[in-house]
Amino acid sequence: MSVESPFILVNPERCVGCHTCELACAAAHTRAGTVLGAVAAGERLQPRNRVVQVDKVKLSTQCRQCEDAPCVRVCPTGATYRTATYTAVDPKLCIACRLCMIVCPFGAIRVASREVSGREKKAAIKCDLCTERAGGPACVAACPTRALSLRYPVEIMRDAAMSTSRQFLDALRSQQELTAHP
Amino acid sequence: MTISDKILSRSVDPAVHDMLNRAKELGMETAWERYEAQLPQCGFGELGVCCRHCNMGPCRISPFDGEGPKAGVCGATADIIVARGLIRMIAAGAAAHSDHGRDIAHTLLLTAEGKSGGYEIKDEAKLKALAAEYGIATEGRGKADIALDLARAVYGEFGKQEGPIQFTRRAPEQRVALWQRIGIDPRGIDREIVEIMHRTHIGVDNDPVHLILQGLRASVSDGWGGSMVATELSDVLFGTPMPQRSVSNLGVLKEDHVNIILHGHEPTLSEMIVAAAGEPEMVALAGKYGARGIQVAGMCCTGNEILMRHGVPIAGNFLQQELAVITGAVDAMIVDVQCIMPALGNLAGCFHTKFISTSPKAKFPGAVHMEFHEEHASEIAREIVKVSVENFRFRRPEMVHIPDQKMECMAGFSVEAIVGALGGTLDPLLDAIKSGAIKGIAALVGCNNVKIQHDYAHLNLIRELIRDNVLVVTTGCNAIAAAKAGLLLPEAAEECGEGLKGVCKALGIPPALHMGSCVDISRILVACAAIAKALGVDINDLPAAGAAPEWMSEKAVSIGAYVVSSGVFTVLGTVPQVLGSPVVTELLTQGANDVVGAVFAVEPDPFKAARLMIDHIEAKRKALGI
Repeated sequence: MSVESPFILVNPERCVGCHTCELACAAAHTRAGTVLGAVAAGERLQPRNRVVQVDKVKLSTQCRQCEDAPCVRVCPTGATYRTATYTAVDPKLCIACRLCMIVCPFGAIRVASREVSGREKKAAIKCDLCTERAGGPACVAACPTRALSLRYPVEIMRDAAMSTSRQFLDALRSQQELTAHP
Repeated sequence: MTISDKILSRSVDPAVHDMLNRAKELGMETAWERYEAQLPQCGFGELGVCCRHCNMGPCRISPFDGEGPKAGVCGATADIIVARGLIRMIAAGAAAHSDHGRDIAHTLLLTAEGKSGGYEIKDEAKLKALAAEYGIATEGRGKADIALDLARAVYGEFGKQEGPIQFTRRAPEQRVALWQRIGIDPRGIDREIVEIMHRTHIGVDNDPVHLILQGLRASVSDGWGGSMVATELSDVLFGTPMPQRSVSNLGVLKEDHVNIILHGHEPTLSEMIVAAAGEPEMVALAGKYGARGIQVAGMCCTGNEILMRHGVPIAGNFLQQELAVITGAVDAMIVDVQCIMPALGNLAGCFHTKFISTSPKAKFPGAVHMEFHEEHASEIAREIVKVSVENFRFRRPEMVHIPDQKMECMAGFSVEAIVGALGGTLDPLLDAIKSGAIKGIAALVGCNNVKIQHDYAHLNLIRELIRDNVLVVTTGCNAIAAAKAGLLLPEAAEECGEGLKGVCKALGIPPALHMGSCVDISRILVACAAIAKALGVDINDLPAAGAAPEWMSEKAVSIGAYVVSSGVFTVLGTVPQVLGSPVVTELLTQGANDVVGAVFAVEPDPFKAARLMIDHIEAKRKALGI
């Protein structure tokens, strides 16, 4: 059985809209590795996630690492592809045609200027789950309210199943108690 | 005892290692744990691009490449927001120093009126010298009369509208002319601070360069105004410091004594506490409770003030305040104003330690407030000492853990003392500089900051400089770091280059001269002005440089600004919250050279910082043709 991809899950009840995740994301994708270091070195800060506000609720959004990803299906050059755990972009193959950006239902792909093989070019960038980063996704580590987590679908299903099963058992128990004490 | 790498990485001071280990055993948190809990710190804040000056905000400027807002709701750009934020820091720092100066002026006024509770004029010569500077007649007049006129004149500096502030005229003529030309000659101490608050209100001054210039003007009113007032009038009241030996670090606390720590910044109350703790009646009271005596020790700049005037041992610098409480041997931690962690209240609650706040301006959670008023100074001081001594009996021996580390030091190099050590004139120093025996002078100042291994940058920078024959003058937490490492001893001459070693040995002075508290950076300005005048040049021509290797406070921002405004190249060891603005960053690190003849550099590595300072000093020597 293949393992389903993990993804970043936001808890909107905890998100305060501070944009710290965006900064952490951008910094994690620089050579300096920190906001201050990158700015001091003149490196561009390019986040892969985005904090939005829907009515009064704030939440961060990023790639959901779709299993049957439209971005992969439409890519004319094969730059966008699936690995075992996430949806990746090969900047060398990317021609910045924006098809992936257009078809992404989550608005999770941007086209940005970057240096690729010593050449300045535009290419698609998206969440790579900080696969290369020791300690996992930078946004999750940076979130001051712990609103973000790296979750596995299996885990989410199990948690949901556990929680509703507990409710179900409690309901049964209270019904028994009611019938036992008329 | 094995100490974890984590603890070792937090400080270079073994006393701190010992106490952090003890804190860990006891499950107590300190600034270092709280810093970790804050990580990662907000990137917008680090860059200085957030603004909360009005309620259309909070606004933030996006540092991202090509996306996100590039202006706040009112249209303020990153440059405007950074400049406003920076000068508000200057306003706060200048306010802190200057309000300290105001309190000293108030004490002098009360003393002259005969209304202060126990203060007297200890340095009459300095009183007369200052009176002469203010054009106050001294001939045939009593010291109270002179002091009354002087106190009123100095008091007047705070509310002055059109300037000039008298002490600014101690700067070389060229410097004063430059300040006037670029519009940063301050008109009054309070006025410049108020004007910063006005200009940074929504919709007032929105030109980043114009904003920064006002910041510099307020900073000059601090360095050559409020801070200098604090220093000079403290000398009049409490005596001008002269070199004396003492001891430093947490090992100065004594297991069998009542231990009183005086922490904060002002000398006013601490002078009286030191006196009260020496009274036979108090010592007898301590004996009654089983103590062998009363050990008063200082911390931070209050500590520097009483160290340099009375040789009172100094227990540590900023990041050691919590550790002092954790020794379990402190019967009272008495605080006034500035750099006192509100965390002390909770921490003191875990021990028998009485945490006593004293300033009408500063209250703390978990503190007993015993408010200080100059009119009843010695009475209040006695009461506070009594409460402290009485608390000795509640000490829990099983909670006492005092580290062994203590180090001798020599402190108290006021300008007057330095001139004295040189034999009454600056000439020997000038000759040593001209001959190259002393390559130049470096002023090392400032705080501790959890972002930098405690004392690491302070000590390595001093050592690098003296090794290359740069004479170091030091104040504040840098001076305390130097004391703990033995660098304030004449014996430290052994660590110097040959030229400086010879000078130190000939004069019997340490290669790092303890010039006092943070407000005493004004002493360094006075020394720079005197040297520049003797050479017939401006301060920015001198082979001199400044550094704040572990700075953190708003006061340090004001200090940095007035030191650069005075013409001294200054290296900062931690990054100020300005990098979000290309205009402000460029101005501070390059453009300022064309305006005030000096710039800032940022360099966390003390070895590289030393290189920057030495290169600067060598370039200045070359320009002077020496």
